Amino acid sequence: MRELELYFGPQHLGMVGNFSITLNVEGDRIVKATANPGFLHRGFEKLMEQRTWIQNFPLVCRINVVEPDHMELMYAMAVEKLAGIEVPERARFIRSIYLELARIGSHLFGLWAYANMLGFDTVANWAMYHRDLVLDLFEELTGGRVYHIYIWPGGVRRDFPEGFKDRIINTLHTIGSCVPDYDNTFFNNRVFYKRAKNIGKITCEEAKRMGAVGQVLRATGMKQDIRKTEPYAAYDQVDWEIPVRTDGDAYSRIWVVRDEMIESVHMIFKLLDKMPEGEVYNKIPNPFKWKIPDKDAYVRCESSRGELGLYLVSNGGDKPYRAHFRTPSYNHGLTILEKALENESIADVGNIMISLYITAPEIDR
Amino acid sequence: MDRNNLGKWLKSPGKMGQKYSLHALYFCTGCGIIEIPPSITTRWDAERFGVIPVATPRQANLFLITGYVSVKTLRYIIRSYEQMPEPKFTVGFGSCPINGGMYWDSYNTIKHLDKYIPVDGWIAGCMPRPEAVFVAVTHLWTLIDKGMADGYNKYRANYQYYRENQEKILGKLEWPPLFSKNIKHEEYRTIA
Amino acid sequence: MKNTGQLLKEKLLLSFEDIQAEVSDEHRLTVNCRKDTVITVLSFLNNSGYDHLALISCVDWIKDNVLELVYILTAYAEDKGKAKMNILVKTRITREKPGLHTVIPVFENAEPYERELHELYGIHFMGHPRLTPLFLEREYKIPPFRKDFDTRKYVQEVFDQIPFVEDKKAEK
Repeated sequence: MRELELYFGPQHLGMVGNFSITLNVEGDRIVKATANPGFLHRGFEKLMEQRTWIQNFPLVCRINVVEPDHMELMYAMAVEKLAGIEVPERARFIRSIYLELARIGSHLFGLWAYANMLGFDTVANWAMYHRDLVLDLFEELTGGRVYHIYIWPGGVRRDFPEGFKDRIINTLHTIGSCVPDYDNTFFNNRVFYKRAKNIGKITCEEAKRMGAVGQVLRATGMKQDIRKTEPYAAYDQVDWEIPVRTDGDAYSRIWVVRDEMIESVHMIFKLLDKMPEGEVYNKIPNPFKWKIPDKDAYVRCESSRGELGLYLVSNGGDKPYRAHFRTPSYNHGLTILEKALENESIADVGNIMISLYITAPEIDR
Repeated sequence: MDRNNLGKWLKSPGKMGQKYSLHALYFCTGCGIIEIPPSITTRWDAERFGVIPVATPRQANLFLITGYVSVKTLRYIIRSYEQMPEPKFTVGFGSCPINGGMYWDSYNTIKHLDKYIPVDGWIAGCMPRPEAVFVAVTHLWTLIDKGMADGYNKYRANYQYYRENQEKILGKLEWPPLFSKNIKHEEYRTIA
Repeated sequence: MKNTGQLLKEKLLLSFEDIQAEVSDEHRLTVNCRKDTVITVLSFLNNSGYDHLALISCVDWIKDNVLELVYILTAYAEDKGKAKMNILVKTRITREKPGLHTVIPVFENAEPYERELHELYGIHFMGHPRLTPLFLEREYKIPPFRKDFDTRKYVQEVFDQIPFVEDKKAEK
């Protein structure tokens, strides 16, 4: 059969985000796939070199729109490491709670995208509504719906308002009480099983070789999570489990996402119970005259898509000399996607892409 | 809403049709797309205002430019805009298409979108809330009513200038010009 | 008792002659080496269990007239001591016609990183299968991430020079 070249995206219904793939197809089998990123390239790391340490906070959170909070954390952690700033105990707990809420929000957005793509419109509407409830909490806490700029070097910007703890618990109970509904209509649905089982399969060996992290790696049976191996914030203060599946296909990946969400909810309850009283931020020097010693640092955390890292270099000035983000979608979208799409059918492209949890702005930066 | 205003309906039924059935193009051009799913799902149901997302530019008449426009995306925005049938309306969503916003000194984003395609309205803010989308939609209704949402006429009338600007950034465009010369609105009526 | 970083440092210094290694933090090892030994150092570390290439970064030290490449390695291992380690392998190359060998034979996921550095810093990686443009649409005389590329000047020269259509119409 003759080989054809097919352009998939950036304007395409099956495409989430501004991303494009060139497919070489034979009939409806994909022979070769070439990812074509760069539609969202803004040169963030170059822009960061021209702004002072504190001016960069509004910038970093805009790198990934789906989960800006982990980006903030990454930059704050790197600055803290370079400047040697300590974080108070209560701020650590607030950070963890805030990041777990962000993870739930981000996973619900992912669930919306996945369910919407498979045609489960009811589930998609639920997920989007529940995400909005989480965003309402953020709005009350920080004043912003999408971009928060809440984490600050030396702690967080402000303490929880009065009664906020109860509202977190209420919201999580509302979302948690719908888990059986989600399970009945989506996760245990035969249609979902048929569409997602054995699609986009990668083995543990392949995943390690190609630099997979996050759900993609955990769905292949590897128990790896930065929150356990290199605990930051207050993740070492509570007990929790890493959800794992062994098949490495789209079905397992989405199940890992579901289990992670539930684990996050439990974790927030435990963190709220143990939260100590006290200060929420340590004073930082005057931001206008703030200079950071000549050093470099690499920090990493577990974002909702996997290992997120930041390599930050200072040359003793009032601006970063170089910043480079290591984003989880980078390898998922450029190396693994090309491999996972081989010998699949055109109808499954969107399925595989969303199950790999790729967000385009993270790749392009 | 002026649904009881029968006189208006009878006077220009076509205009009323355009007004209440805005088909938004499904194209995630930037980070503003994050607020579109909430506005089209249950909480802020956009269909109350007659806005519904559609798959291809051939079916669409509303183009929401959601967020910053990088040089690479601009090519596809122009492609999609030219494929949309007339009458078509463009709304810039967020601060970035207005004047560059946060990325005013970035080497890879377009600073003023209206230099390359005509824009009928802007929603300022980063990020604008879903309610802002509906304010923009109702405002667009007024503009359509008054005949002021005429970006597509402007595009026709100044096509040569727009194309020149586009080619300055993107190099030689690989598709042929949409119109061979600048066509005035009255003239277009006689051709069509 | 020595920790994992110290042990690895000793092992590295025994195996290679002209490298410097330093344990600056408890869980951080910095290795400086020449550009032709990078690939052997990386494959040595890969065989000792540090099998995850997290990042290839580049810093433009314009005052010293060098580009510094930084390979950041971590481990997938479930062993606590190993998993915590971050290894930064650094090498310096000249700014004029920079080039070195690709590390794709050792780490498969290095491919997009090297493509990106080729585009943003103009580094040529010998043996790389496709050094085609990744992100950029326009061509730049100086690769945009180098320190001597001034984005603000570039914006003024390119984007601000384009006239508004109304102004153009008024002109004619």
